[in-house]
Amino acid sequence: MVHAAEVLSHVAALAQAADPPQASSGSTNLARAQTAFSLAFHICFAVFGVGMPWLLLFVEGRWVRTRDPVWLALTRKWSRAFAVLFAVGAVSGTALSFEFGLLWPAFMARYGGVLGLSFTLEGFAFFAEAIFIGMYLYGWKRLSARTHWLTLWPIAIAGTFSTLFIITANAWMNTPGHVTEVDGKVVSAEPFAPFLAATAPHQLIHMLLAALMCTGGIVAGVYAVGMLRGRRDAYHQRGLRVGLAVLLVCAPLQLIVGDWAARVVGNEQPIKLAAMEGLGHTRTHAPLTIGGIYDERTGEVRHGIEVPDLLSLMQGFSADHEITGLTAVPPEERPNAVLVHSAFNVMVGLGMALIALSLVTGVVVLRRRRRGQRPLLPTGRPWLWAAAASGPASVLAMLAGWEVTEGGRQPWIVYGRMRVDEAATSSSGMPAIFTGTLLLYLGLAAALILILRRMATGGPELAATVGETSTTPEIPDARPAPVAPGTPAPTTPTKPTKPTTPRTDPSGSEGDVR
Amino acid sequence: MTAADLLAVVMVIGLTAYALTGGADFGGGVWDLLARGRDAADQRRLVSAALGPVWEANHVWLIFVIVMMFSGFPAAFGIVGSTLEIPLILALVGIVLRGAAYVYRAYGAGAAGPDHWWGHVFAVSSAITPVALGVCGAALATGDVAEGDALAPVTSAFGIVCGVFTLAVTAFLAAVYLCRDAASSPETEHLVPGFRRRALGGAVVSGLLAVALLPLLWSEAPVVAERFAERSVPFVVISAMGGITSLVALWQHRFTAARVTAGAAVAGVLWGWAAAQYPDLVVGRATVDSAAAPEANIVAMLIAVACGLVVLIPSLWMLFRLFANPEVKS
Repeated sequence: MVHAAEVLSHVAALAQAADPPQASSGSTNLARAQTAFSLAFHICFAVFGVGMPWLLLFVEGRWVRTRDPVWLALTRKWSRAFAVLFAVGAVSGTALSFEFGLLWPAFMARYGGVLGLSFTLEGFAFFAEAIFIGMYLYGWKRLSARTHWLTLWPIAIAGTFSTLFIITANAWMNTPGHVTEVDGKVVSAEPFAPFLAATAPHQLIHMLLAALMCTGGIVAGVYAVGMLRGRRDAYHQRGLRVGLAVLLVCAPLQLIVGDWAARVVGNEQPIKLAAMEGLGHTRTHAPLTIGGIYDERTGEVRHGIEVPDLLSLMQGFSADHEITGLTAVPPEERPNAVLVHSAFNVMVGLGMALIALSLVTGVVVLRRRRRGQRPLLPTGRPWLWAAAASGPASVLAMLAGWEVTEGGRQPWIVYGRMRVDEAATSSSGMPAIFTGTLLLYLGLAAALILILRRMATGGPELAATVGETSTTPEIPDARPAPVAPGTPAPTTPTKPTKPTTPRTDPSGSEGDVR
Repeated sequence: MTAADLLAVVMVIGLTAYALTGGADFGGGVWDLLARGRDAADQRRLVSAALGPVWEANHVWLIFVIVMMFSGFPAAFGIVGSTLEIPLILALVGIVLRGAAYVYRAYGAGAAGPDHWWGHVFAVSSAITPVALGVCGAALATGDVAEGDALAPVTSAFGIVCGVFTLAVTAFLAAVYLCRDAASSPETEHLVPGFRRRALGGAVVSGLLAVALLPLLWSEAPVVAERFAERSVPFVVISAMGGITSLVALWQHRFTAARVTAGAAVAGVLWGWAAAQYPDLVVGRATVDSAAAPEANIVAMLIAVACGLVVLIPSLWMLFRLFANPEVKS
C-alpha cells in the first residue's frame, strides 16, 4: 500500500516535473495545458466521427435488408446522437486549427509547410465527411433507403482517412525525418515526409482500433445501463450486441499492435520507451515493471511488480538486449516519467481488462452456441456491469495512450529538432484565454451530456413522431414485460421477441418523443 | 507565376467560396437574431431549414483557407497567430458557440435548456464571427497588427468598419438566398416580402459602408489603396454592377438571378481586395515570396487540392441539388 504522505510527495514531484527547470515560462505551460485540454476534448468526439459511421453502416444495412423496425430504431437513434457528436467534434477541430497558430506560432512558422500535405488531405477527408453527413442526416425523405445507406460509405471512409492524415502529422512530430534545415529554417522537405515517419503505421492502426473500441464501448455501455434499468427489449439487446462485438473484436488486436508499437518506439524514441517503462538506468536483462510509481531520485519504480528480463525479451527477443534508460540523456531532455509511466500503466491495465472480458465472452459465446442457447451474449447483471464499464474504460485508455505518445515526446515538440518552449506563444493573455476556453468547453460539454442523456433515455424512437419516415410503420416497444427500474434481472436470457406490445412507458422515463 | 502565387489564388478562391456559402450562413444567423413580427417563428424555421443540410460543409472552406495559409505560407501564419490574437479568438468563440448551439437547438429537444436560448446563442455568435474576420482582413491590409498592443486590431476605425461591412454583406447575401428559398414553397411564400425588404436594405447598407470604407482605405492602408486604384478597378466595376443588378432583380422578384448577381457583388469586393493586397500577405511583414514554404511542398499541396476537388465538386453539387429547396415542417 502506498501511504498518503507518499502519494502527496509524488503529486508534488509531478507538479514540479510538469514545470521543467529550465526556461519553461508560464505561457508555455498554459499553451501546453490549453492544447492538451482542447485536444483531449476534440479526440473524445472525433472518435465517434471515425467509429460511428461503420456501426451505422451495419445497423442500417441490416434494416435495408430485413426491414426489421428494431434495426431502423437503432439507426435513427444512433444517427441523431452521431449528428450532435460530429458537430461538436467538427467545431472543436476547427478551434484546433486556429490554436496551432495562436498557441504555437513558432512551430507553425517553421514546420507548417512540412505538415502541409497531411493537413490538406485531412481537410478534404473532413470536407467529404461533412458533405455526406448533410445528405445522410437530412436525406431520409429525399433518398431511397438504399441510397441513404450508400451515403454512409463516403462518411465512414473519409472519417477513417481523416485519422490517417492527422496521425501522420503527429507521427512526424515524434519521428521527424526527410527534412533539411539550415539555421532553423526548413530549406527543403519531401512532401511525403509525414507519411514516411517511422511511427506512422503503428500509430495509425493503434488509433483506428482505439476509435472503434471507444465507439463500440460507449454504445454497449449505454444499452447495458438501459438493460440494468430493466429495459430488456430486442432494441436494447441488439444495441448492446453490436457495440460489444466491435469492442471485443478490436481489444485483442490492440495488444498485437501495442507490442509492435513498443518495439518501434524502443528503436526510434528510446527515451520515450524508458519513460513508459519507468526505466532509469540503461541495462540488459531489463525487467518489465507493472504498476508502481517512478521515483526520479533513484531512477527506480516503487511499488511496481517486476517481471525479470521481460522488457529485454520483448524488445530484442533476448535477455541480453540493452534498453536505454532515462539517465542516458541530461535531465532537461527527459520526459516526465512519473506521468508517462502512470499513463502507460493505465492504458495497458485497462486494455488488459478489456482483452480479458473479450476472451471470457468469446468462450461463453462459443459454449452457448454449442448448447443452442439464445441470445449468445449473456445478459446477467455482472455482464451488464462489465459492458457498462467498458465504454468509459476504452475512452480512458485512449486518453492515457495519447498522453503516453505526447507526454513521452517531451520536452520536444518535434523530437530532437524543436523544444516545446521554443514553439509556444509568449502572449500575456494566456491565463485569460485558457480560463475562457475551459469555461466555454465545459459548458458545452455539460449541455451535450444533458442532451445525450435525454436521447439515451427511453426505448425505440417512434418514427412517426419525427415525421421524416412517414412511410415506415411505427415501432412498438419490444420489451417482453414491464420491469421496474432496479428490479433484479431475470437470470434466464430472454429471446428477442417480435415487437408485439404497443409502446408504454412504465419505468417513468421521459422517452424520446419530441 | 510561381507555385506560391498559384496557391495564393487558390486561397482566394477558397475564401470566396467561404464568403458565398459560410458567409450566407452567418447572415442567416443575423436574420434569426432580427426575426420580428407575427411570423418571426416561421422566419427562424426557414433559416434553420435552409442551413441544416449544408452548414457543416459550408464551413469547411474556412479550414481550407487556414490549412493553406499555415502549410503554404507558414511564416505569415506565425505572424498572424501571434498578433491577431483577439480578433481570431473572437472569431473562434463565434464558430464554436454557433456550431454547438445550432445542433443543440436542432437535436436537444430542450434537454439542455430551452431551445430558444440556444437559438439566441446561435444568432449572436453568428454575428460575432464575420465582424472578427473582417477585422482580421483589415489588419492584414494595414499591416497594423498588434505588436505589444493586443487591442490595436480591434480598436482601429478601419478595422471596425471592415468588420461591420463584412457582417452587412453576409446579411445581404443570406436575405437574397432566403428570398428564393421562401418563394420555392407555398408554405413559406408569405415570408418573401419580408426577406425581399431585408435583402434590398442589406444591399443599400452594404453599398453605403463600401463607400465609407474607401477614404479610410486611403488613409489607413496607403500601400493597398494605391494598388487598389491601379488593379482593382475591374473588380470594383463587377461588384458595383452586381449590387445594382441585384437591386433590380430583387425588385422584379427574380430571385434566382438575384442570387447570382449578389454573389458577383461579394466576390468582386473580395477579389478587388486580394488583387490590391498582392504580393503582401501581411503588409510590411510578409509577402507571398518571403513567407512561402519550400516549393516541393507547395506543389504537392496544389496537386492534392486538384485531386481533392475532383472528388468534392461533384459531391458538393449533389448536396446542393438534393437540398435546393428547404423542407419546412413544424
